[in-house]
Amino acid sequence: METLITLIQIAIGAALINNFVLHYFVGICPFLGVSRRIDTAFGMGCAVTFVISIAATLSWVFTYFILRPGAPLPAWIWQMAGGDASTQVNLSVLSYIVYIFVIAASVQFVEMYVRKFFPALYKSFGVFLPLITTNCAILFACLEIMKHLQDPMRLWALPEALTLAVGGGVGFTLAIVLMAGIREELDACDVPKPLRGPGIALIVAGILAMAFMGFAGVDRGIQSTLNAFLH
Amino acid sequence: MSASEPTALERFLNGILPENPIYRQLLGMCPTLAVTGAMKPAMTMVAATAFVLIAANVIISLIRGLLKPHLRILVFTLTIATFVTIADRFLAAYVYEMSKQLGSYIPLIIVNCIIISRCEICASKQSVGVALADAVGMSLGFGLALGSIATVREILGAGQWFGVTVLPPDVWPSWGIMALPPGAFLTLGLLLALVNWIGQRRAESLALREKQSKG
Amino acid sequence: MSDEPRKGGYIPQAWLVILLALFYGAALAGTQTALGPRIEENKKNETYAVIPQLVEGASQEQTKAVVVTGQNGNEQPVYQARAADGTLQGWVLPAQGQGFADRIDLLIGVTPDVSTIVGLYVLDQKETPGLGALITGTKFQNQFRGISTDQPVVVVTSEPQAGQIRALTGATISSDSVADIVNQTIANLKEPIRKLER
Repeated sequence: METLITLIQIAIGAALINNFVLHYFVGICPFLGVSRRIDTAFGMGCAVTFVISIAATLSWVFTYFILRPGAPLPAWIWQMAGGDASTQVNLSVLSYIVYIFVIAASVQFVEMYVRKFFPALYKSFGVFLPLITTNCAILFACLEIMKHLQDPMRLWALPEALTLAVGGGVGFTLAIVLMAGIREELDACDVPKPLRGPGIALIVAGILAMAFMGFAGVDRGIQSTLNAFLH
Repeated sequence: MSASEPTALERFLNGILPENPIYRQLLGMCPTLAVTGAMKPAMTMVAATAFVLIAANVIISLIRGLLKPHLRILVFTLTIATFVTIADRFLAAYVYEMSKQLGSYIPLIIVNCIIISRCEICASKQSVGVALADAVGMSLGFGLALGSIATVREILGAGQWFGVTVLPPDVWPSWGIMALPPGAFLTLGLLLALVNWIGQRRAESLALREKQSKG
Repeated sequence: MSDEPRKGGYIPQAWLVILLALFYGAALAGTQTALGPRIEENKKNETYAVIPQLVEGASQEQTKAVVVTGQNGNEQPVYQARAADGTLQGWVLPAQGQGFADRIDLLIGVTPDVSTIVGLYVLDQKETPGLGALITGTKFQNQFRGISTDQPVVVVTSEPQAGQIRALTGATISSDSVADIVNQTIANLKEPIRKLER
């Protein structure tokens, strides 16, 4: 039950309170670039959510077993090679390189898989897939997971990591679709000439970010409500 | 190298204003918004990005003759990720407070489009000198953009600049919102409009002058 | 991506990538060897440097981390704050929990018998600047000094009595969060620490 509450908290935190786009500013490039129409925005959002969950799962596996301080696999190899058991092997210096290649590989893999088995799906968001490798939101999710795998006393398990990733992806989709809806309306407005294009989009994003600030504290309320309900 | 390739000086000057990575090309928005709440983190970010950009540009330019075209993105990514890790370790070792404050945004330099686009556009085609000038120019342009945003946000948001009080609290009730995410979006939006407005005014006056000289 | 045919197997194609990978690997290993100990030191000092502020008379050099199993069954480290001559001056308990915006990380200093709070320090927080972020201020933190651990700390918005602290104006939730984290951590660790060897 405790775990479920934690998972709900992580999901709400990633999707609403600390929204990836409007609070952490990751994934701003597609947020400004692909948010002119609702359907393309939704396609982009789905593609990101899809890739982010795969990349997060893979990077959790790599971090948990290989890269974190005190990871089992390098320690085992070290001991097999006759090393001293008391020295801790720490490969975390390689994390960033591993993550970026995990992301690139999962984008490739998702693209091939979706094209082969779900042609309809590929048609709707396949064009966005190659763009995603340089989307900061994915790397950011991997880094957040890494942060929670540093302290051996409080390690995240796979469900937590996956919840964060999916929550973040949903939050990204929500933000980009909301933005696209507003920008479709903005087309009919008389925007001052210097503000046209990205200028007004950023100001709209600022107002959206203010609106999302209203979610702060919601997770704490949900936690106490659920706790009261359960006990 | 064809004659149409820009020279080192042109590359250097282009990066600062005419092709400013933030205001003109709209690249690397993520750090631009995230770390500009105050001058200190913004300038640390600029220094880290400049280090990675210069190192990557120089190395790519040195090996440009050996690059296989279909492996170039792989090589770019490998180079950038390595130098970002080195920069990250240096910050953690020597300015730990700052490195903690910047957190994930240092590793996110890897996916900063400015660097990979400079490797692709300039370093993989031109000599080391030009690539170096290009990287320094772009870094200055990036620094200028981040500095301007951070100046506005820190002064309005906390009445300080580089941590030094410029507007005392009894004169200026700090706008907390400027230090928060919405402040970042609003400041960048308005500064972008200002840059566009100046550009448009200049273009208009140029057109007017041309018309007059013809007439 | 390219028009030229890929001939000659993998090695002629990829030798540059392999060479670069080796070169970068060496560079990274060098950086890690040179800077790793320093970074570890920084991380450790972050906690250790504030321990003398939290527990009066404690020496940074004598401080030692020990692992304790809390009443919720989880293991976690606590710090023994000792004076320069080695006598136990108190304990420092790392604590964390949900704040208004994000996680709050605290250090709580208590007396050797865990009966009274002697200090509080906020290691990390992302509360609203100007409001909730004032939990890092000494005025708020000093209120926790001298509060008995027999009763949970109570947050009030009026003049505080014994065992109470006054909430920050406009940041009741942040103040509540800090008090909650303190109460939970002390309830969890009080008995286990009393059983530890001195």
